[in-house]
Amino acid sequence: MLALQLLVNGILLGGLYVLVAQSLNLIFGVMGVVNLAHGAVIALAGLFTFWFSTSTGLSPLLVLPIAFVVAGLAGALGQRLLIEPVMRAGAKSELLSLIVTFGLSYILIELALQLFGADFVSLPYLQSSWTIGSLAFGKALMVAGLFAATMSALLYIWLNRTISGKALLAASQSPTGAICCGIDVARVRMIAFGVGVGLAATAGVLVIVIMPVAPQTASDLTLLAFVIIALGGLGDYLGVAVAALLLGVAQSLAGYYLGGNAEYVLPYVLLLLLMVARPGRFKRAR
Amino acid sequence: MPKQQKSRVTSIRGWLGIPVLAALTALSGAARAAPPPIVIGTTISETGPLATDASYEIKGIKLGIAEANAHGGWLGRKLVLKYYDDKSSPGAAVRLYQRLITLDKVNLLIGPYSSLVTVAIAPLINKYHMATLEPGASVPSIYVPGNKWNLMNTADSTTYLHQLMPLAKQHGAKTVALLGLESAYSLACYHARLAQAKELGMKVVYKTTYTLQTDFSSIALAIKNAKPDVVLECGYYPDSVNLVRSLHGQGFAPQFLGETVGPVEAAYVKALGPLANGVFGNSGWWFNFKTPGNAAFISAYEKMFNEKPDYHAAAGFTAVQVLGAAVQGTKSVDQEKIRHWIVTHTVQSIQGPIQDNADGRTVGAVQDMVQVQGGVLKLVAPTSLAQAPPQIPYTGH
Repeated sequence: MLALQLLVNGILLGGLYVLVAQSLNLIFGVMGVVNLAHGAVIALAGLFTFWFSTSTGLSPLLVLPIAFVVAGLAGALGQRLLIEPVMRAGAKSELLSLIVTFGLSYILIELALQLFGADFVSLPYLQSSWTIGSLAFGKALMVAGLFAATMSALLYIWLNRTISGKALLAASQSPTGAICCGIDVARVRMIAFGVGVGLAATAGVLVIVIMPVAPQTASDLTLLAFVIIALGGLGDYLGVAVAALLLGVAQSLAGYYLGGNAEYVLPYVLLLLLMVARPGRFKRAR
Repeated sequence: MPKQQKSRVTSIRGWLGIPVLAALTALSGAARAAPPPIVIGTTISETGPLATDASYEIKGIKLGIAEANAHGGWLGRKLVLKYYDDKSSPGAAVRLYQRLITLDKVNLLIGPYSSLVTVAIAPLINKYHMATLEPGASVPSIYVPGNKWNLMNTADSTTYLHQLMPLAKQHGAKTVALLGLESAYSLACYHARLAQAKELGMKVVYKTTYTLQTDFSSIALAIKNAKPDVVLECGYYPDSVNLVRSLHGQGFAPQFLGETVGPVEAAYVKALGPLANGVFGNSGWWFNFKTPGNAAFISAYEKMFNEKPDYHAAAGFTAVQVLGAAVQGTKSVDQEKIRHWIVTHTVQSIQGPIQDNADGRTVGAVQDMVQVQGGVLKLVAPTSLAQAPPQIPYTGH
């Protein structure tokens, strides 16, 4: 039963990782842009959710659609105004977009500091567990995990079964070829970035009920998301989901048998080992 | 032509110069009448993982300076506070203290929040011989002969939650789980509690140290399987919240649950709701202390910041009290004189008497114990000051 509970804990933690990482993966997979403002979007959405829920007394889950739409539109606009121009810079476009999103992350963190202050906050929501026999399933992590699974499935269906999704994949694999086929690549990138930012914001809504968040948490969240998508395969949606779940289980085991420090350092050790063993893996999936 | 023009301009300037000169003379006289302010420098973790606790400390310092200025300042000089955000980063703090000392040339220094950051700046403080009050650095190992310019003004971290295990033992507890964050203060607390468990004959059935992390489910499961009567964590606010949630998530509620630092912050009860009820915490200062100026401090703090102070705020305020006493006692801002005065005098502060030994370590001060009861923090130990008896056991709701 202990092994089963460790597995459950690991999968639930992995679900949280999928939630945090998959939207970053979408943006990277389609555009080749590592959105360094990813964590800032999550933190900002989480802090807004805290403010909304404590001010109105309403469920934080009500913020989910609002966060997706508002952040998605803001992300699309930001992509069109700030990132799309640098995407046309040829070989330097990835570096320039990195610089742009780095600057954006600082602006968003400062905005969060001005709006919500520097304190860590969290909501006392879904704190208890569902139990099956002696197995405990934390409610907040379950909701986050189910949301992440749904999100991943919808992303998969969208990208592989719909015209717009296939256009998006085509644009990521060969922008020139996509243009020749009549695909408006700039529009596709804007949609991908908007959806990615919208999903990051929904992650923030759920993260605030799982752990304390402050504006400065942003960089930790970006780093965590990047490590997960690097482990799973940059731009590989299924690979990232699997890597997130496996990492969750590995951390669950490490935390139980080796203690907190081992659990914390494990993702970075795995990343280093993978970089040394399989350097070719760290290229964008095509 | 150009020469004439120049001559005329010079002439006009000459006439205009008379009132300007007079005004400057008057201003110069005024400047002589008002002596330069005493500039107090510090850094604070306005952002980063220490921000929640640190924000109280800087407010206490600000209030202390405002109160001193309202009473004419020190030595007839107004006080000015110059501070920077060290972002909870020891590296950033080192750069900023270098700036405060060498570029800003502040007259006096107050240390940053946390032992973690203070350990980093200690070599600099001691290199420049700046007598620095340390309201937020509670690790006793800082205050050694090699660091003679660091001067403590709070109870040390080996006294954090020192009342919890004896209380638990009185109620039949025999086993304990101990956790310590990998940070200077929390490790000092963790090792002190480990030693205390041994002295009390309580069995440590689980122990671990951890880095700032979000997932405590494995640790909580390991604690659940070890079935301790007492869970005691030495950490900061974010990990305190995460641990309580994870224990609850794994369906485990120990009879006694104690966490340092986190429970005294208003954000703790907001984050945990009913799960916070019954959790013990520690505080070096409390609202019902009958110390000189305590009631006025609470009232002024609430008026100035529209919130209740905590013990970090009291420690910040006390640092200004001790510095003020030393400056006025020595009638100077000379670092050597101030340091000597502080280690040879007792200051009656709002926290109680502050007396540093020759190494700059506060002697005789201990942290008291509080407990969240019905969503409100109450002092429960020592008995002589207790507002309510401890509520036992912790139920997790």
